[in-house]
Amino acid sequence: MSRILEIDDLAVDFDTRFGRVRALDGVSVGLEAGETLGLVGESGCGKSITALAVMGLVPTPPGRIGAGSIRFCGEELIKAPKSRLRNLRGAEIAMIFQEPMSSLNPVFTVEDQIVEAIMLHRPIEYDAARREAVALLERVGIPEAAQRARDYPHQLSGGMRQRVMIAMAVSCRPRVLIADEPTTALDVTVQAQIFDLLGEIQHEFGVAIILITHDMGVISEMADRVAVMYAGRIIEEAGADDVLDHPQHPYTRGLIACIPTLEDDASLREIPGVVPPLHALGRGCAFADRCAYMDARCRRERPALAPTGHHANACLAVAEGRL
Amino acid sequence: MSDLLEVRDLSVRFDAGRASLFAPRRWLEAVRGVSFGIDRGKALGIVGESGSGKTTTAMAAIRLTQAAAGRVLLEGEDLLTLDEAAMRARRKDVQLIFQDPYSSLNPRSRVRDILREPLDLMEVGTRASREERVRELIDLVGLRVDQLPLFPHQFSGGQRQRISIARALATAPKLLVCDEPVSALDVAIQAQILNLLLRLKEELDLGYLFISHDLGVVRYLCDEVAVMYLGRIVEIGPRAQVFESPRHPYTRTLLAAVPSLKRRKSSGFKRPAAIEGDPPSPINPPKGCAFARRCPHAKDICLSIDPALEPRAGGRVACHFPVS
Repeated sequence: MSRILEIDDLAVDFDTRFGRVRALDGVSVGLEAGETLGLVGESGCGKSITALAVMGLVPTPPGRIGAGSIRFCGEELIKAPKSRLRNLRGAEIAMIFQEPMSSLNPVFTVEDQIVEAIMLHRPIEYDAARREAVALLERVGIPEAAQRARDYPHQLSGGMRQRVMIAMAVSCRPRVLIADEPTTALDVTVQAQIFDLLGEIQHEFGVAIILITHDMGVISEMADRVAVMYAGRIIEEAGADDVLDHPQHPYTRGLIACIPTLEDDASLREIPGVVPPLHALGRGCAFADRCAYMDARCRRERPALAPTGHHANACLAVAEGRL
Repeated sequence: MSDLLEVRDLSVRFDAGRASLFAPRRWLEAVRGVSFGIDRGKALGIVGESGSGKTTTAMAAIRLTQAAAGRVLLEGEDLLTLDEAAMRARRKDVQLIFQDPYSSLNPRSRVRDILREPLDLMEVGTRASREERVRELIDLVGLRVDQLPLFPHQFSGGQRQRISIARALATAPKLLVCDEPVSALDVAIQAQILNLLLRLKEELDLGYLFISHDLGVVRYLCDEVAVMYLGRIVEIGPRAQVFESPRHPYTRTLLAAVPSLKRRKSSGFKRPAAIEGDPPSPINPPKGCAFARRCPHAKDICLSIDPALEPRAGGRVACHFPVS
């Protein structure tokens, strides 16, 4: 396997009324061809900013890339010209968002929108692009695709709209697909359909997926590898089974123990307190205030992501064997 | 018969207008003949997908939405036939927590006033005893007395939900309606609120009508579970019954759809009971069983006759061919 996406020491800053805050700090993570990387964490931890940075879509201002590099198949994206990014976006790196209704244009039919995506990136006749759009809609499980292709987004259900987004995203056979909480707005049976579809699409098109979610259950069913984020940093990274069965960082442990599941009767362990605001992060570990294993050193030093074998974590308590 | 709340054949319909000037009036049948009971100190969870009628059922049960038919007995007294004044007085026994702790608290009021308002409106006790009660309440939900003069925006989402809970408990209700109380919160905060609700239920002998789309949450908190589909209860029973041996095909589908830590991509997980399509429209709902068109076990009878909710092994199930 080869790494098709390599994020290295990425930092993203935002100008806010509290001054400049670092929303993403020293994020390094790679994506192998054809695998699914799960990015997991609570709201505000930097999952979506990571995705936007890869797409070159960090809103500037107030945001800016502070440091680091993002390489796609060896090509640096951070300083790449806008025209090059436009060519890559949609063709090589595609993205689907949380709310399909707001990412579709309400005044064009879904067919028009998929055709636009295809013709923008590939030398293809209009009629051929239309036939392909319908075939794609059929592939993502839209019944009577030829008729539904003429529908406007508001005529489709939430699940159907997300299928349209997936059809559009894979229309140019991208090598990377970023899915940012793609089912948050959907019901649980429809969510299952969408994830099953993403799995099939990955198998068929060999696309690598970055899946952003706050749901460890989704990670379990979908991801090969997991990066857990907290307050703008990756605090643990490993294979999905390693993270789920042997979580190392106290935050990851808490995150797994605090979900009510359908199998477990144990009482829920709480993570006390709340995520600190980014403008108020001290020198030490951002999780220290909520952590049962915190000591004086955790307050002074911010631990770096230290690999232990193939399982990396950023925790002094783990490093010192205090856990 | 349940000793706290008994809901019988509750129906709610909304006028969906006419397709054209001379077309017949259309009705959105949001809740269709729903019956359930809640005992003192017990929690009933209503689960279902959006549009299944969970919230409307709860709102009609506490008369915040007008019911088209049915009876709602709170300790034997039918709420739906009470006059305005009597209903107002009865409201102190039934309180409500909403999903969004941001929009359900007045941003211009201090926490002290938010908590005291229900007591003032219900004219509970003397002024001094109300102040005392406010201090009691803030302590009960795990906040501090010195936070009483603050405004809602000075609290985090989880803390705000604690304030909502304290406000709901002000008049010492017997029944608390919780409408997706943790859906807007991050998972780590969710656990804090769920544990708080669980503790309050035991300590205060509260009954909960608990609405959630999250089956894990309902399983954690509720003693009984009702599964709704397109305005009807399709299965209801004790928690263990519904979660360990569901009888209705829809319940099984719903459970299979919940992402699980036990199912791993690494071991080649494939979902067994995936269903296709979306729920049908509640406007002029189809004849027969509403789930028939998505059901893997449907036969002819399912398309013509809507099955009644019949007792089966500890719970009740509305299905012609319940799974065993």
